[in-house]
Amino acid sequence: MSLGDVEVRSKSRQIFYSIILIALSVPVIVAFSMLVLSSFANQMVTNFDFSKVRFTFKNWQLLFQGRIAITGGLRENIFLYLINTAIVAFGVAIVTTLVGTLSGYAISRIRFRGRRFVLLMMLMLHALPGSILIVGVYFLYRLWMPTSLNALRYFSFFYVIVARAALEVPLSVWLMKGFFDLLPWEVEWSALVDGASRLKTWAKIMMPLIKPGVVAILIFGFLAGWQDIIYVRTFLIDKTLATFIESNLESEMAYMPLLAAAATLYLLPTIFFYISSQKLLFKVYAGGIRR
Amino acid sequence: MIRERSSRKWELWAFLAPALVVVVIFYVVPLILTVYTSFTPLRNWNIQRYATRLIGFYNYQKLFHAIANDPSVRAVFLTTAVFVGCTLLVNVLGGLILALLTFFVDRKTNSIASTIWLLPRMSPIAVYGLVWYYFFHGSGVGTLNSLFLRLGFIDKPIAWGQAFIPYGPWSVIIFVNGLVGVSFGMIVLSSAIKSIPGEFVIAARVDGATDWQICRRVLIPQIKWHIMYVTTWQLLSLLTSYAHTYLLVSWRLVNKSYGTPWALYVYDLAFTGVFDQGLAAAAGTLLVLVGGLLGLITLRILGFGRLMTEPRGDI
Repeated sequence: MSLGDVEVRSKSRQIFYSIILIALSVPVIVAFSMLVLSSFANQMVTNFDFSKVRFTFKNWQLLFQGRIAITGGLRENIFLYLINTAIVAFGVAIVTTLVGTLSGYAISRIRFRGRRFVLLMMLMLHALPGSILIVGVYFLYRLWMPTSLNALRYFSFFYVIVARAALEVPLSVWLMKGFFDLLPWEVEWSALVDGASRLKTWAKIMMPLIKPGVVAILIFGFLAGWQDIIYVRTFLIDKTLATFIESNLESEMAYMPLLAAAATLYLLPTIFFYISSQKLLFKVYAGGIRR
Repeated sequence: MIRERSSRKWELWAFLAPALVVVVIFYVVPLILTVYTSFTPLRNWNIQRYATRLIGFYNYQKLFHAIANDPSVRAVFLTTAVFVGCTLLVNVLGGLILALLTFFVDRKTNSIASTIWLLPRMSPIAVYGLVWYYFFHGSGVGTLNSLFLRLGFIDKPIAWGQAFIPYGPWSVIIFVNGLVGVSFGMIVLSSAIKSIPGEFVIAARVDGATDWQICRRVLIPQIKWHIMYVTTWQLLSLLTSYAHTYLLVSWRLVNKSYGTPWALYVYDLAFTGVFDQGLAAAAGTLLVLVGGLLGLITLRILGFGRLMTEPRGDI
């Protein structure tokens, strides 16, 4: 029986709680919407002063033309930054998902010596994120760095993807283990009895069954790569949207509403994924905890 | 029979190898390198020149000396304690309050509220930083300033993160980071509350319990373990995360010394400004030690067994 079935709650009380809840959320809504609104205005509207404000698409136009100031000057290729950001995000998503689904399966379904240790290690690493080891991670990057600039650019993409994904690996293994735990054994047994190898069973039987979990972890990995700034600014030679915003806010020449447009553009995929897969993401952001 | 065995072993490795490789390359080796670097005078990433020299505990001595004598480093130390403590309180209490509130409202409001509160956690860090940059901006453009000016609380704009040291910058970083973590507590705790059998609440209602009494006597006692889980997990994550604070400091929205927690201090030493990786590694090693210890205590308190289930009926 769910609580919704029982009409013992007073309506007025419920409205009262709803008002409190919405009121608590006001600062977040206001702050975000002012930024989005500013991207369509000729000046920042963060001070609620609309007297001199004209609404315009100029900022977006300038942004896509790659002009960060109203008058001439530097040109920046915003499309390239957008693509760079997407490469990192997709890379992180794929690495996180692949590693998570493989190891998650093994830990959930195969009994082996050291299983407890592996799981304990993942939990410990999840608790203590690798981002505090960044000095060591960068040390390694320096040791492996190729000398030619072109090779270095590719290498930096590869490195930032794997290094950033590594931060999410413990959680993704943990989560996928949880998803695999919920699957019935009967299907798997029949495949194994019929002589399929574990890898084949994993690929052909288990992965399709666990699709929602895979989608959730893919989106989670994508968002992790998409939102990152520290790893991108530390390792990547090329610019992403994050480093574009970071460096342009520092240089005081930047035209603020244009940065607001860049930020809004940067925020769009996040909003899209969030709205399309809210329930799945809830599970992931809860840290895969068992009820 | 033997062949079967070895092929099984091979298969197991195929499943585990990617994770183990990632863990070794991005956790084990960097940990060793970080500890090693803390015993070298590495600067400006000049590995050839400095990384092979060993200078014993010099970096640690320098660090402790700085904590004791350098006001800006002492500020960082103090900021870490205040930041972690207060943000944790905001996270856990905020998460609990939101989870309890969402329990009592209808499903639609519940889902709207959850959507809003997950936004800080999901949005790109640069966007999130920009949002609060304008909110707390020191000029009249700043949302908070314009609001207070209109209400007549202040007569000229205040740079909130630079004024009223240390409380100004502290409030800003606690607020900004606090909102990021609230959603975690909210989601975990509200899913825990949802899993409490409805009969408990119905019985309490029939007995005439108020909402407050239901929270105090029925809901909260049942989710004690989850509150503990959120608290310890957030504690570790606050101690070690620095991305959100990094932008606030680098954009000069908040005072540098009183806006920098320890994890950011480590990053700053190695990658911005002084480029003293030896000292950064020493500071990082201390953080790893403290974090690792807290992590072990956490797992002990939460009970490792509760977080794990054995695979059943394996063949």
